[in-house]
Amino acid sequence: MTRGAAVAGLLVLIAAGCEKPLKPGDPVRGLSAAERDRFARGKVVFDSAFTPHTGLGPLFNSTGCGECHEDPAKGGRGDEVEVHATAFRGGVCDPLVQEGGFVIQQHTIPALKQALGIDSEPFPRSATGRAQRTTPVLFGRGLLDLVPDSVILSYADPDDRNHDGIRGRPNRSVDGRLGRFGRKAFVATLTEFNAGAFVAEMGITDPAQPTEENIGGKPIPEGVDSVPDPEITQEQLDLTDDFVRFLAPPTPARLDTAGRRGRELFSGLGCAACHIPTLRTGDSPVPALRHREFAAYTDLLLHDMGPDLADICLGLATPSQFRTEPLIDLRDAQRFLHDGRATTLEQAIDAHGGEAAGARDRFRALPPGDRAALTAFLKSL
Amino acid sequence: MVKLPRAAALAAVLVTPVLTSAPVQPSTYIYQGTVHTVQPRASSLELITGVGFALRLVPMRAVAATRVERAGVAISLADLKPGDVVRADCRRTALGLVADRIVEIDRTAAR
Repeated sequence: MTRGAAVAGLLVLIAAGCEKPLKPGDPVRGLSAAERDRFARGKVVFDSAFTPHTGLGPLFNSTGCGECHEDPAKGGRGDEVEVHATAFRGGVCDPLVQEGGFVIQQHTIPALKQALGIDSEPFPRSATGRAQRTTPVLFGRGLLDLVPDSVILSYADPDDRNHDGIRGRPNRSVDGRLGRFGRKAFVATLTEFNAGAFVAEMGITDPAQPTEENIGGKPIPEGVDSVPDPEITQEQLDLTDDFVRFLAPPTPARLDTAGRRGRELFSGLGCAACHIPTLRTGDSPVPALRHREFAAYTDLLLHDMGPDLADICLGLATPSQFRTEPLIDLRDAQRFLHDGRATTLEQAIDAHGGEAAGARDRFRALPPGDRAALTAFLKSL
Repeated sequence: MVKLPRAAALAAVLVTPVLTSAPVQPSTYIYQGTVHTVQPRASSLELITGVGFALRLVPMRAVAATRVERAGVAISLADLKPGDVVRADCRRTALGLVADRIVEIDRTAAR
């Protein structure tokens, strides 16, 4: 090797080591100029506020994606809590579509309120479960979308054949495909998650779902919704999809001594059995997303979390089964768990039950310094 | 980006009619979803389909000629139960959607 080549190689290594950390809301590294342009234009649609004149409602939870996914940057989490309802009978989950489920919208446009006198969608009478759902971060979801099904299924162990007490199970979407998005892993792809969110969260119909939500199972009263469907174009939908897809997971903070100890404990206690630290994407037409290893801290599978956390069923997920939450941008979280019931990481760990009870108990048994080290590690994510 | 083909494929499977080659023939609608209700006496069933969290119920009828299959074997409509995942090839008639063929899908093989 010549001296010039050695110096060049050294400079590349230094540059790689000195890369600016990715902040919440940043796009993934390596996008083309055209992809960065779509990210920027998609952010505009994401941050739009819709009105009844531009298609909002008749039922909605929010006037725009960015109204909820806003903290600490667009695409982040929010303090809004929405309501879901399903019925679980005889081992079969009914999402109560015939009664307006499973997303029960909490707001109505003025015309609907005038027609029916309601401020929110009626809660389904047949529901056996009610869930509250906080707004999740969207950072890194484009990478999660590209983890091959075979990788996710390789972590599944529904019969606990390795006798570690952890039984990851895949959920399936309504048409039977492997699910990975949503707190119950009910949605198969990011594109569908985004397209469905326009309709279910904002009442904005789009080309993938051009029909409005019903009102508690009943049709929309005449004259309440005069905007023709679909209420956004394919291009608006695609741009929003690209914005979400290109959102990078923030770079984990550099670990100090306590953080490194916490990282060891995270594995040693068994947390990493479900919160798989790194995943790798498969193929993609976007080079920046292709074959990328990233800090995911999830297996995208369902695990029984015990009766105290149980709420609704969804697909194959029973009320007590939840998808392992990806631990991405945990440092910015103010509330934890699917319904935001925990205000500290220690509370969140303490609320883990079911398959996670063993890891929780080992955490509880740690001396205070080690518990602090573990939470220090988690706050680096 | 490549979202249009992906979204278009999704829409084709879930909601949009697939045009047959002869324009004078009725359109074929293909739905893949979860069985919500089955009423064998009324020869009717409802499927849950949808996109993401935005789910929809699709009611359809079976007729005498409707073939219902499980693992390649003909079964009756009454053999289907809520929670099963099926693919239904339907056509629209004056009485609504009529399924010509209903095939149960093995979830582990669904794509």
